[in-house]
Amino acid sequence: MARDPHLSDPQLLMELEGELSRRAATKIGRHLAACGKCRARRRALEAMIADWTRLQRTAVALPSGDGPRALLRARIGRLGPPPAGPARGALAHGKLTLAACALIVLAAAMVKHSSPRPVWAAAVPDARLTPGATLRATRESVCAQPNTKNRAVPVALRRKVFESYGLRDASPRDFEVDYLITPALGGADDIHNLWPQPYRSTVWNAEVKDALEDRLRDLVCGGALDLSEAQREIAADWIAAYKKYFHTDRPLEPR
Amino acid sequence: MADVFQAGVLTLTGGAARPACSAVEDEVVALFDEYREPLLRYLTTFGVCAADAEELLQDVFLALFLHLRGGKSRANLRGWLFRVAHNLALKRRQRDRGGAVAGLPAPAQTPDPAPNPEDQLLHGQLQKRLAAAYRALPERDRRCLWLRAEGLNYREIAAVLEISLGAVALSLARSLARLERCAER
Repeated sequence: MARDPHLSDPQLLMELEGELSRRAATKIGRHLAACGKCRARRRALEAMIADWTRLQRTAVALPSGDGPRALLRARIGRLGPPPAGPARGALAHGKLTLAACALIVLAAAMVKHSSPRPVWAAAVPDARLTPGATLRATRESVCAQPNTKNRAVPVALRRKVFESYGLRDASPRDFEVDYLITPALGGADDIHNLWPQPYRSTVWNAEVKDALEDRLRDLVCGGALDLSEAQREIAADWIAAYKKYFHTDRPLEPR
Repeated sequence: MADVFQAGVLTLTGGAARPACSAVEDEVVALFDEYREPLLRYLTTFGVCAADAEELLQDVFLALFLHLRGGKSRANLRGWLFRVAHNLALKRRQRDRGGAVAGLPAPAQTPDPAPNPEDQLLHGQLQKRLAAAYRALPERDRRCLWLRAEGLNYREIAAVLEISLGAVALSLARSLARLERCAER
């Protein structure tokens, strides 16, 4: 059987990728210079890859990454500091990785158990539903805006928040839809940044959270705290952040 | 008062380990912004729903954070991310045996799609034929093609799928020929 005088598709693809050995590249380059059929075939392969790439890029509609990004920051924050001192060998890292894996597995298990709705609203939001979401804001842009309180959440968005927390049948009068990361700290108008806070809530209520937001904003705009750090702390556990920044275990009396 | 809190904050952020950690975190978040979409698209080809894919992605980037914080290699982080995502998706699929057959994901799997999702997917006969040809490919060929279309080079694809460089070229040649035949029909 006569050997095909033309280049094979895998050869052409390796040539396009620049992955041929020098010797093969010289030989194939010489053939391509002389053979219009192989050059046309190479163009057809390139065109097919381009067609497929375009199709693939539009095949999956993806939601905004703001919520997932904030969740990632919060989870990184929860990993805690790296092992201190000289214990930085492979073993220590292995332990850390194991601990992190255990954390992930534990978190996954918790998510699995907690996913059947309804998820009841509480003073602290469900981290899976409301991880917090931020705009791509800088300290300067955040601090240039007035510190507005109680910005109204659009009705449609509010309804979606109730639904996501399984509160279809609950009276909206019992809950306020609140921002986890306040817009005054770069928080986004995004379902991942909103949760239904019960009005009759507990000691850790919206008023207390407002005080924390003011404190964090002062620190950020005064240059004492990174904006991203403030966002992360309030998203990870705002009550813990309050205790930390007000040096107290209980909410202070409003002034 | 402000000074007290300022001092408290400074001790929090001014330690020896914190700035490095914070720098790693920022690097990880920047990579997250860059590769979230291609990785999500890739994960959905394993038949995991969009919400699970987001969850897997969190694990991928937490692993990346630990990897970088541990001072490990920064060479070819894109390939590293796809490899870890691939392995986690395989584990997830083994766990949820009987999951959906991998293919071009349907728009319904995305919880909060952009307007007109139907318009985004496979409009037109040519796209339908290409998508059908893609679904008929063997799994490894589908993955090769998908990763190539996400911009990975052959070496990165070879590392993700644990095959040789030559096998990547052969696989792509097969897939492209199949797509071409179906497009011409």
